[in-house]
Amino acid sequence: MSNQETLLKVEHLCQYFKAGNFVTKAVDDVSFDIKKGEVFGLVGESGCGKTTTGRSIIKLYNITSGNVIFKGVRIAAGIQSYKDNIKKAKEDKIPNLSEYVAEQKKLIKEAKYDQKNCDKEYSKKLVAELKAKYEPLIAKASDPAEKQKLTNEYKDELYKAKRTKLVTQIQMIFQDPIASLDPRMTVREIIAEGLIIQGERNKKVIDQKVYEMLELVGLVPEHATRYPHEFSGGQRQRIGVARSIIMQPELIIADEPVSALDVSVQAQVINLLNDLRDRFGLTILFIAHDLSVVKYFSDRIGVMYYGKLVELADSDELFAHPFHPYTKSLLSAIPLPDPIYEKARKRIVYNPLAEHDYTVDKPSLREVSPGHFVQCNEAEYKKIMQELGGNV
Amino acid sequence: MNEKLQVRNLRISFRTSNGKVQAVRDISFDLAKGETLAIVGESGSGKSVTSKAILGILAGNSIVESGEIIYDGKDLLKISEEDFHKIRGDKIAMIFQDPMSSLNPIVRIGRQLTEAMLLKGKARQRECRATFNGYLKNLNKAMAASNDPARAAEISRNCKKFDKFEFKHIELESAYKKAFEAASENVDDIEKIAFELEKKTVSKGSGDRINDIVKQARDSINDYVISPEHKSEVYSLAGSLASEFAKAKKSLNFDAALKILYRLRDLSKEGIEKKAPNFFCMGYYLTFSGKPLPDMPIDELNKFLHDYIDRDFMLAFIKDAEAALKHSSSVSCDNMRAAIEKLNAARAVYTREKLDKKECYSTCKELAAAVKRCIDILNINKDSLSFTFAPSLKSQIDTYFHAIGANVKAQRAHDRDQRKYDRIVAKGKKPDWEVADAAVTDLELIKENIVRIITRLVDHYDELLANYSSRNFDEETVAVIDFLKANASGVVDKVTRRVAKHRAIKLMDEVGIAEPHKRYKQYPFEFSGGMRQRIVIAIALAANPDILICDEPTTALDVTIQAQILELINNLKEERNLSVIFITHDLGVVANMADRVAVMYAGKIVEYGTSEDIFYHAAHPYTWALLSSMPDLDTDEKLEAIPGTPPNMIYPPKGDAFAPRNKYAMQIDFERQPPMFKISDTHYAATWLLHPDAPKVDPPKAVVDRIRRMNERRATKDE
Repeated sequence: MSNQETLLKVEHLCQYFKAGNFVTKAVDDVSFDIKKGEVFGLVGESGCGKTTTGRSIIKLYNITSGNVIFKGVRIAAGIQSYKDNIKKAKEDKIPNLSEYVAEQKKLIKEAKYDQKNCDKEYSKKLVAELKAKYEPLIAKASDPAEKQKLTNEYKDELYKAKRTKLVTQIQMIFQDPIASLDPRMTVREIIAEGLIIQGERNKKVIDQKVYEMLELVGLVPEHATRYPHEFSGGQRQRIGVARSIIMQPELIIADEPVSALDVSVQAQVINLLNDLRDRFGLTILFIAHDLSVVKYFSDRIGVMYYGKLVELADSDELFAHPFHPYTKSLLSAIPLPDPIYEKARKRIVYNPLAEHDYTVDKPSLREVSPGHFVQCNEAEYKKIMQELGGNV
Repeated sequence: MNEKLQVRNLRISFRTSNGKVQAVRDISFDLAKGETLAIVGESGSGKSVTSKAILGILAGNSIVESGEIIYDGKDLLKISEEDFHKIRGDKIAMIFQDPMSSLNPIVRIGRQLTEAMLLKGKARQRECRATFNGYLKNLNKAMAASNDPARAAEISRNCKKFDKFEFKHIELESAYKKAFEAASENVDDIEKIAFELEKKTVSKGSGDRINDIVKQARDSINDYVISPEHKSEVYSLAGSLASEFAKAKKSLNFDAALKILYRLRDLSKEGIEKKAPNFFCMGYYLTFSGKPLPDMPIDELNKFLHDYIDRDFMLAFIKDAEAALKHSSSVSCDNMRAAIEKLNAARAVYTREKLDKKECYSTCKELAAAVKRCIDILNINKDSLSFTFAPSLKSQIDTYFHAIGANVKAQRAHDRDQRKYDRIVAKGKKPDWEVADAAVTDLELIKENIVRIITRLVDHYDELLANYSSRNFDEETVAVIDFLKANASGVVDKVTRRVAKHRAIKLMDEVGIAEPHKRYKQYPFEFSGGMRQRIVIAIALAANPDILICDEPTTALDVTIQAQILELINNLKEERNLSVIFITHDLGVVANMADRVAVMYAGKIVEYGTSEDIFYHAAHPYTWALLSSMPDLDTDEKLEAIPGTPPNMIYPPKGDAFAPRNKYAMQIDFERQPPMFKISDTHYAATWLLHPDAPKVDPPKAVVDRIRRMNERRATKDE
């Protein structure tokens, strides 16, 4: 898995919300990367920032600090950390202060530019590519009819390219299949909306694509003219899936796609996502709180607790050898369909104050075994390594 | 006889513009005291409708077609709305599925939590007073009847005595309990805050918590908890604690405050470990002896008081009460024998070809009077069947005579529709609607129902008479005295605004809401979904109900909170001996919670058994499908989703409703509805696969594999 291309890289992502004088740190210094073609699960209790992380990645929020790098392009950047750096430097009165400040200010400028213009840059690049492709062809074409045809095609593609955004290659599936579909749009309009915004003007192409998508997600083309309220919960979630994959995204952020569904329908949607993943090589960021489903579906899992990523590992590894006490408590809380086991199950309670002593040594994310990261400080790290030494 | 709730042949449909949706089709189950019954099924299977019917909050377009829900000697489907007010929320509470819509957005959380407590508190006080007085009066009467008339005056004096000292006892005991609780809470709170102070972390609410500790320390002063000799010490400690804490807040040097805290904790601990005196006896002694308590150690004191009360009053009272119980039950038994004859004779009236209106009603009246005489007023466990007999018989007769006229009308309407349909067809068009069946009530069925009601009561009485000889009146007398005590405590238990707030904050703490003091004043929008659900649970528990209905309480929550809330419900169930109806579609949760499981599909119970039966020996294909469609931690292969969707209940299928989605379906599944087949004493399933002529079918691989894995895991664990 290590030699795979990294699709998405999240570096020190912070997302703070201000309410009066009080700052809520919804996501605080989270870093991870997602390889192409894998399913990355994000679990944690409600309010721990899983959804905020997903939404920050897709730029629904302006992030406070950190970087989000998608396919090697920085699509979101925050500036708070640089500001803090300057402030700290001024307080500490470090030597060559002015140089340092200038440097940080330059970084801020770059971050602001990237945050604003990454899509523009991307479409510029596409336009340049098209120019390189079509201009020689048009120049070469001798037949006027063919020349006309090529020019038209070029124009059309150019129209699309100018409207293409890099971020549209990341798509989101929302939690609530009822609230996330506009009740006044037909299924066709819902699914085609993205295509139209992106500049597709050919009705035939749109219809054909919509039908294709509907069949792909297990609905029939006749459903295209209906309204969302005529569907059951599972079918609505399928419409949500169709809406996101019609953009041919590389990365899908699935924000609790099955939490609101019945068990039997849950299985249908999970199977559907699995099929699509095999078919298109989709990469999925799967946000959920049902650990059995996450375990079944994901290759790697990140565990979040109060805005921090506390553990990150392959899913089998995480369930076999959890190290962080929060992960342990989380795993001990999973209910299984086995009454005798259930009646004997003891839940481990996690109390961060009793568990850790972070007064002196602040924790950080450390690698304890290949691909397995745990949030811990030096003392805890040593303890884990000792445990590992005993285990191996 | 410890069934709390009985649901019999319940049938509910909804009138909609497209036709009648049959949401619940003939289900029966009962719920024992202290038991959890889980109802499992997909959305639309009628689980929520059943629970709403129990709580009497069905939507306006619903029709209860038949059935009864018997609780505490009443049929909940037939009582008035005013009577329901006394039951809803107070005796039967519900935790709703959607925390977003079940809280009032413009009222503070604290107010919503305490509202029910304050309202119900007064009502409950009144009710307890009425029950206590009524029962004591009845007991007095029965005692006098069973005894020598010369002793009547003494007996009534004794009963009055019991009334008088009982309240003294409760007062003493509740004062003790309050102090004890304050002390034991203080031990916990002090340990928590001392832990934080030692780490030198001060959170926003620390000041409030310190104030709480001070208050609790003062509350815990009682003769038998923190004794008066330490009173001044506790007061001075408590007084200086707040100021010490405020002083140390800036410097973060908490040594002085910690010292005080530890001393308080030690005192409280000592108080908790002390043995409590027997307040029941003490109440009697203080009321009637006219002397102060003798000064002796608690063990001796208890013995002394016990002897005193026995000699003076208790033995005689118990003897009289037992005689009264015996007398009243033997009277009711005699009445039963008479009633059985009458009931048997009345059967002929209701099995005639055509019922005679006058005769029916007069017989009904006679029977009601005879059955009423059979009710033993001194029995604490109300005999539900006797109580519900008269109203249910009368309602059936009403339906019968009403239906005679209504049937003619319905048939006429149907004929008209049919003619219209035929006309359209004759014109060569194909109408896009179908002629609905005539809404005719089956008169024969009602007659059968009436006979069934009578037969059931006769059988019930036969059983009671047969069991009469084995009744243990000693135990029953003790139970009666406990019952009186419980009601007396209900009268003393006054809920003021302050008590309600204290209780609400404790509840919030219990359901896992951090900083309850701050949260108490907030509005619902300031809470996250999980927190809101906890509030809803706290509100449901606030009134201290008998039966708790949980309608998917944890579906919207994540695992850790789900686990906490399930634990909470389990603990409360054990503490208060609650009966719980748990509605969910998550089988993992069911395994954790349920004693028994009912699997519902399309308005019918398709499988019914203990949770071991359902999870290890499931027999219905729908249960198999549910089990195999959910992943667990070891699942690797493709999940087996159930194909298709549940049937449209406007046109319920003729055969087994699950047949179209069932890969094991046989021809007969499409033609006839399977009956409930008995697998073991506790386990029933409605599928033709259990018929002796059916081919042998193994459960799907996913289910078999899982059971194997579960067994293996258990085996390795046992080693």
